[in-house]
Amino acid sequence: MRNIGELCFAFYTPEGDSVAVSTGIITHVHTMSEAIKFMIRQGYEDDPGISEGDIFCNNDPDLGNVHTTDVHTMIPIFWEGQMLGWAGGVAHQVDIGASTPGHDPVATANRFEDGFYVTAEKIGEHHEVRKDFKIRAQRSVRTPLYWDLDEKCRIAGIYMVRDAVYRIIREEGLEYFQTFMREAVEEGRQIFMARIRERLVPGIYRTASFMDAPYKGKAWHPEQNHDFMMHAPMTITIGPDGSFALDMDGASGPGPFPFNASEGSMQGALWVQITQTLIYDGKVNDGSYLAAQHHFPQGSWCNPGNSLLAYGTPWAYLIPAFTGMFRLLSRGYFSRGYREEIVSGYGFTGDPTQGGGVLANGTYFPVSNFELCAVGLGARGTMDGLDAAYAMWNPEADMGDAEVWETIESGLLYLSRRFKPDTAGYGRFRGGSGWESLRLVHGVQELQLYSWREGRVFHGGAGLFGGYPGATGYRLFVKDTKFYDMVADRLPYPLGDRNPAQRELDNGLGGTMHLSRDGLILPQPFQNGDVWLSLFSGGPGYGDPLERPIDEVARDVEGDIYLPETAKSVFGVIIDEEPDGVKADPVRTEQYRAALIADRRARSVSYQEFWQEERTKVSQGNLAEPVRRMYRESMQLSPAWSAEFCRFWNLPVDFQFQP
Amino acid sequence: MAEHMPRILAIDAGGTMTDTFVVDEAGMFTIGKAQTTPNRESDGLLRSFDDALHYWDMERGTVTQHLMATVYSGTSMLNRLLERRGDGPIGVLVTAGMEDYFRMERAAQTYAGYPFSDRLHVVTHVHNEPLVPRKYIKGIRERISFFGEEVVPLYQEEVRDAVKALGRQGVKALCVSFLYSYRDPRHELAALEIAQQVLAEEGIDIPVYLSSRSNPVRGDLARLNTLVVEVYAARPSRLQLFDIRDRLRAEGSSAPVRVLASYGGTVSPDVEWLVTTLISGPIGGILGARRLSEVYHFENVVCTDVGGTSFDVGLITERELLTRTEPTVARFLLTLPTLAMDSIGAGTGTLVRIDPAVRRVTLGPDSAGYRLGVCNADSGITVPSITDCDLALGYINPEYFLGGEVKVDRERALAAIEEQIAQPLSSDPFSAAEGVVRLLETQMRDHLYGMVLGLGYAPENYRLFGYGGGGPLHVAGYTEGLAFQDILVPTWAAAFSAFGGACADYAYRYDRSIDLLITPETSAREMVAQSLNQAWEDIRNRIGQEFQRDGLNPAEMSFVPSVRMQYLGMLDDIEVRAKWPIDAKDGLTSLIDRFDELFAKIFARSARSPEAGYFVTKAIGVGILPTEKPVLPKFPLQGATPSINAHKGTRKLFWRGEWHTAQLWEMDRLHSGNEILGPSVIEAPATTFLVPPGRKAVLDAYRVFHLNNG
Repeated sequence: MRNIGELCFAFYTPEGDSVAVSTGIITHVHTMSEAIKFMIRQGYEDDPGISEGDIFCNNDPDLGNVHTTDVHTMIPIFWEGQMLGWAGGVAHQVDIGASTPGHDPVATANRFEDGFYVTAEKIGEHHEVRKDFKIRAQRSVRTPLYWDLDEKCRIAGIYMVRDAVYRIIREEGLEYFQTFMREAVEEGRQIFMARIRERLVPGIYRTASFMDAPYKGKAWHPEQNHDFMMHAPMTITIGPDGSFALDMDGASGPGPFPFNASEGSMQGALWVQITQTLIYDGKVNDGSYLAAQHHFPQGSWCNPGNSLLAYGTPWAYLIPAFTGMFRLLSRGYFSRGYREEIVSGYGFTGDPTQGGGVLANGTYFPVSNFELCAVGLGARGTMDGLDAAYAMWNPEADMGDAEVWETIESGLLYLSRRFKPDTAGYGRFRGGSGWESLRLVHGVQELQLYSWREGRVFHGGAGLFGGYPGATGYRLFVKDTKFYDMVADRLPYPLGDRNPAQRELDNGLGGTMHLSRDGLILPQPFQNGDVWLSLFSGGPGYGDPLERPIDEVARDVEGDIYLPETAKSVFGVIIDEEPDGVKADPVRTEQYRAALIADRRARSVSYQEFWQEERTKVSQGNLAEPVRRMYRESMQLSPAWSAEFCRFWNLPVDFQFQP
Repeated sequence: MAEHMPRILAIDAGGTMTDTFVVDEAGMFTIGKAQTTPNRESDGLLRSFDDALHYWDMERGTVTQHLMATVYSGTSMLNRLLERRGDGPIGVLVTAGMEDYFRMERAAQTYAGYPFSDRLHVVTHVHNEPLVPRKYIKGIRERISFFGEEVVPLYQEEVRDAVKALGRQGVKALCVSFLYSYRDPRHELAALEIAQQVLAEEGIDIPVYLSSRSNPVRGDLARLNTLVVEVYAARPSRLQLFDIRDRLRAEGSSAPVRVLASYGGTVSPDVEWLVTTLISGPIGGILGARRLSEVYHFENVVCTDVGGTSFDVGLITERELLTRTEPTVARFLLTLPTLAMDSIGAGTGTLVRIDPAVRRVTLGPDSAGYRLGVCNADSGITVPSITDCDLALGYINPEYFLGGEVKVDRERALAAIEEQIAQPLSSDPFSAAEGVVRLLETQMRDHLYGMVLGLGYAPENYRLFGYGGGGPLHVAGYTEGLAFQDILVPTWAAAFSAFGGACADYAYRYDRSIDLLITPETSAREMVAQSLNQAWEDIRNRIGQEFQRDGLNPAEMSFVPSVRMQYLGMLDDIEVRAKWPIDAKDGLTSLIDRFDELFAKIFARSARSPEAGYFVTKAIGVGILPTEKPVLPKFPLQGATPSINAHKGTRKLFWRGEWHTAQLWEMDRLHSGNEILGPSVIEAPATTFLVPPGRKAVLDAYRVFHLNNG
């Protein structure tokens, strides 16, 4: 997985605080920390013992991991009999033997479907992994070769970390090293606080994010057969001394789906957001983590404290939840005048096409596509967002080459990879654009595919200061097509779904189209000639789209970032498509923009009126069922949040949404 | 005095200065410098040549006819790409649906070349301005699969329409790059035929380039990038190179002009794919170090080049240079075999600031470059640079910068350091400046140390060469505490890259993706051997044609076949020498043995994974013809004590928190065998060599210093 940076190494103090970290998926620098702390709390020193040459493995999300597909290998490092710390390595597996193939399952409802579990287990002694463990592991996943390679890679890497520690001690002495280790963490903490004081105005920052989990009618388990919604309220409190506290009190509950996020995964996400925005040039270690207070309420989706739940795909909830953090920090940057630091949020790194199949020659191939690593970044405070090049969990994102993906996913051919119009959040500065891939199923005996992303709600990447969120996703594939007939007749087969109002896929391809506003789809069989569309998000926008310079809108239209009708309806820009290119008409645009503003005024209501209308809906419980369910969970889990909710809407203190 | 007969002219045309390195038949050399003239490079080159000759009291007119070899390296092609001054518009045909290649890029290109902090700091990531605007990119329906199967035939009418439209849009060249064309080029070849037909019909005469012809290797974006860069940046350079060749010919030279390629050989400017010469300057240094290593019989060498903006490190391990096949150059992923070199953005021009929030020194990433720093009153630079610090600390002679041609003002430098660095840190300017230099040198040290360790070796296994304009000044600092077997500083350190270019072979290299799995099964092994032999034969024939075009005899060429291979399922392939022809039994077995051995060296033994088999990703061939190279003259050793006329006086310098009185020496007047004890500064017009207190520099018979512990 190195090709896309799904790998990371770190060195920890004996207590499990990270001191130094490699590049790669640095979300994990803290997750291993939690596993080490678990082993200490459980008294592993006595049983099973922590000795030189021991090798430990963990992938249990209830112990700090993100999901079972992220496998950690850790070794204690000793010097002359004294334990100095830990080296850890993590690599994301192509497959972890869950009830369905892939790395981010969607059909699972409990732990027993999450695949191969290793709970802080001693898997080797005398610097060798035990043979029985190797056998068990390789027989527990669908891709034993990759398990073996990744384990070797982790072990080689952590021994390189160990050797580097030895070298420093030989050169500088043990005492120096031990002092350095503490001071590095302390310096990391101090830099973090200095940066907060410099960049952010003290105060309380609040926002909320949401995500849909529409299982009704799709679920494989009766208890899963509902439409769920996630609620992620976020409060960040900045103190004048540079203290930082993040609180998600009011979060909704966990459920019989794989989107539950352990506390460790939330901590990792917090950490990776901090390193991208505040301490990118500081010491990348647990110093900043120790300086950042956090509260992920026990029993909620973001800290269920229940090891029997499924944790296969916490990203589905965690990624939307943390869009709030970019928004909140950006308000602080704005207040302090750090315009160039502002990022309005990010697109959802969703729609990971997954599954597995068998080629005509009988070879199994995994579908574990990671091109979703490159979605749109939100608009920045001084420029547009980054198109198709951002992943919230890995700042060194990369989508990989089509020719490289097809070497693995040889039965799923690219028919296109191109920008998807109207996915970029509207704004004075627009969000980074999203994109789409159209894949052709070809040369397979059998294949199943599934995926997920937000469909019916904006995932939380709401725009900033008048900017809009990026587009939501949808699900589209066509089975039993006439693709090969079209090719035989040299007819122009479709290359994607550029403009759903004039659908290329309706044009001669025939077959049965599955089209749904739900991004979520459980595993389905596919056959040769079927086509599958992947949709990768755009980022949210910044500022009022009516203030976007008209030439930039014309360029967006020319580049298929927006359709001409969107340029008009949203940006108020009148576009003429002339033979030598796209031109915006300044006079008609000015008139049209004035009309749009007049229309906005005509439609606007006073805040009091708006509040009254909404209050009526709330007090009568006149909300969609999943929304009522979500708020009911939040109110049950947090009396404080419930009281504030009732106070805000002027409801009786014992108000509850009815099921 | 006609005691020199110049035989080799080596040129390193940088962005600012063009260095020439002129060697006579005895191996004596002279160095010339002149301003680079980007509009007509031959002007600056000839002036630099004149400058070199004037040290020998010679005139160009009388010596050019004696040249046996002319080797060019330079940055003009790279600068053209960096500054977006290339040729265009270029028309591009890609597989339908893939028209957004240059706008979507791969995310890796949005932070390529950034320091680690900015890689994390996402708000800084930006896309490249596309080399080809979208309106010049046309998609053609066709698909070849990974297995080489034609899933969708070429839609010929679409080719026809696209070429016609692009021709009418006025494109100056056409590039064709389809998915998996490296595996089966039939669609690209068919498109070429149609394109030529349409262009002829339209009466348009433009060249058509195919990715399967230029470099048939996997990686669709990088392959397309490379193809387009050939047209965009390399083609205009060809005309400059022809001009250089024409003018030298007019002066009477019959020596072929050769250009240094990124894989370490030199090629004719007529070469089909000139893009291979995109990175040449820094490569020269590594080749120079390899040449010296041959003379000294060194096995393992670290090559370190300190320039104004970067610190480049290359490794020679067991006499082998590592080659990378997918470098990122100017923020583009390319498929160009390139000698492995890792750079950090830290050089003598690096600017120094204090972060106001956390009160820490930050270095760069910007650099004063050729403008030096605050000390250069005409530079417009207001932020102190490393050179300013060096000057403040007494390491550099303000009266002798570039032989006294550039006036630098130590007081200005000191004042800036005092105000911008010392005061915020509550320090004095000298301690502050020394702290800054030590921080820079520590970064350099960590960088090269990491590279050596990354290969599974230790400094104890290596010798180190320090060169480039700033190498001799900082080498003592950035090697401190690392137990290299020896630290060597050539007296021609400032023109070492040009020297290295002169040491390069006349060599063409071609790579081809082949994707072959070696399993224990006999028939599979037969197939692998057969395919490899076929690929090598094709490559060899192609190189033979290149030499033939250059007017040389391909029969005299030595052919070096190799492969790139990996354990099945892994992603990093490494280059392994092969024997040609190879047989399915012992031949393949010994190839596998060499790979296992090399893998264990480069990565870690514990990561070896032969169980699932071996995967040969590429067949590679290099064809070499012998060529004139510099002889290294050997001088008789004289006494340890330098002659009195080499001594230039004394200067105070600040080192490790204390003032010392350093002896000053003129480099040219030192003799082989002389020993210089630190604290000393050895000065030459183009460079300054610092010998710190407690260290000793010994000049050997080849006029290379060895920096020892005194």
